[in-house]
Amino acid sequence: MWRKSKPYLLLLPAIATIVLLFFGGLFDGLLKSLGYFPAIGETRLELTAYAEVVQSDGFWESLELTLRVAVLSSILAGILGGILGVSLFLLNEASKTGQARVWHRLFQLPLTIPHLVGGYVVVLLFMQSGLLSKLLASLGVIDELTDFPVLVNDPFGWGIILTYAWKEAPFVSLLIYPVLSRIQRSWRDVSRVFGAEKWNFIREIVLPVMLPSWTIAVFIVFVFTFSAFEVPFLLGVTYPGMLPVYSYQLYTSGTFADRPEALAVNIILAALTIALGLVIYYFSKRWQVWKGWA
Amino acid sequence: MGRFISPVKIFLTLIFLLVIGLPFLALLLSSVSLNWQWPEVLPEAFSWRAWDYVLFGSSGTWQAIGTSLVIALVVTAVNIVLAVPAANALARYQFRGKWLMEAIIFAPIIIPPFVAVMGIHLTFLRLGLTETIFGVVLAHLSPTLPYMVRAVVISYNTLAVDWENQARMLGAGAIQRFLHVVLPHLLPGIAAGASLSILISLSQYLITFIIGSGQVITLPILLFPFISGGDPAVAAAYSLMFAGLAIVTLLGMDIALKNYYQTKKTVTGKI
Repeated sequence: MWRKSKPYLLLLPAIATIVLLFFGGLFDGLLKSLGYFPAIGETRLELTAYAEVVQSDGFWESLELTLRVAVLSSILAGILGGILGVSLFLLNEASKTGQARVWHRLFQLPLTIPHLVGGYVVVLLFMQSGLLSKLLASLGVIDELTDFPVLVNDPFGWGIILTYAWKEAPFVSLLIYPVLSRIQRSWRDVSRVFGAEKWNFIREIVLPVMLPSWTIAVFIVFVFTFSAFEVPFLLGVTYPGMLPVYSYQLYTSGTFADRPEALAVNIILAALTIALGLVIYYFSKRWQVWKGWA
Repeated sequence: MGRFISPVKIFLTLIFLLVIGLPFLALLLSSVSLNWQWPEVLPEAFSWRAWDYVLFGSSGTWQAIGTSLVIALVVTAVNIVLAVPAANALARYQFRGKWLMEAIIFAPIIIPPFVAVMGIHLTFLRLGLTETIFGVVLAHLSPTLPYMVRAVVISYNTLAVDWENQARMLGAGAIQRFLHVVLPHLLPGIAAGASLSILISLSQYLITFIIGSGQVITLPILLFPFISGGDPAVAAAYSLMFAGLAIVTLLGMDIALKNYYQTKKTVTGKI
């Protein structure tokens, strides 16, 4: 009996914590999104909040912005992180010292920087009166402050995209690196025997090897950006805001009646991330992405 | 081979200067600038005004750092206590419903935790947990715990049961086995998980804001009004401090771990 229940007992404290604080919160939110407020005598379950959400333009514009920002930032982070990972791998191949490790650590720095600070860095560099604009002006490329494109607090979301590309590129390279380091040094030698140039080696061996974990990494960045709050709150515009910002605005600035709508947006957001999470889980199992990791 | 190394190195150096050097320089210059006007590439006048305000003014910086660290450390300590047994079960036992347990523990990685926090907000309000550090600690647990469990599971995977059996044969009790065999082996995993847990807790804004209701002032809460259109010099100084706090905490963890293993090595060396 003890033997059988032991793993459950070991898991009990952690599971209870997550169930109570996390799933309890989700469930609490779900009930309230359905209009269940016993405190004010509302005990019926209705879908009014959901109906209002899907009928409002604000929601669809917010969803469109969220998808656009998440797609663009994950692709950009993927390209940058891929180039970074392959460069670090080539450096490691070429040198026997621990040099590559030092480089690797240095490039992890953006990962440790808090999101708000990352967002502010983008403000300083990319706003119309920012450092890049100043540099371009002193080089004579632009004459007026207004010649520099609006990249921060812009309706398209470039500021958010730039921040996430910057912050998550090291994450992508971190995820593909263990897979790349499984490529044997001898493979490179063999490819050279067959007359392959460096570029051929990258295209025929390195890229195919990293493709599965790269795809998963990009997908994870996509989900992260999809549900991010801090950076869009700082770098976005008031309307349309990304989904978490939209829900926050409904929750705080609106009346008490807007709260079920805010929570309905949250539940829709959670459902979308669960669906995306299942896709990631399925393909990462299928492609055995984590093999070099655990 | 020599020709092969240099282009990669030059490329990496350039990228490094561009993506890490330039942002750092921008923050640093902005924090000591006085009326930095467009299109001056370098500020014409410098001043310690922002740093003076942040470090010595009555700006509540040190209190906010203290609050941030207390929350992060308590969250991490609770996480360790919860995660070690859970990781043991997930790494070493096969049992029915294991996939469900994994799904529950790792769910907060995918589902955004602010959804749960907004949902539980009114309940916390009724229980008197809002505006308290304790409430914020509770809110920080679910976004951090999955990473801690994950890190400790990886450590458990590399610890063979034979080691504990051997200790048992030598007469070690359960507590002794845990303290002298299991724990030293898990330590790198726990340290990695603790680093992540501290980092995630330190950088939470929305969750802290909802539950703390502006009364629990951590560094991100203090920082936000400045970076969203406040004084740019003060914002830059706070940003550097905030980033520095995260990096120093991680480095400290790393060094402490290395020291631990070094003293261990000398001790076993003497035997």
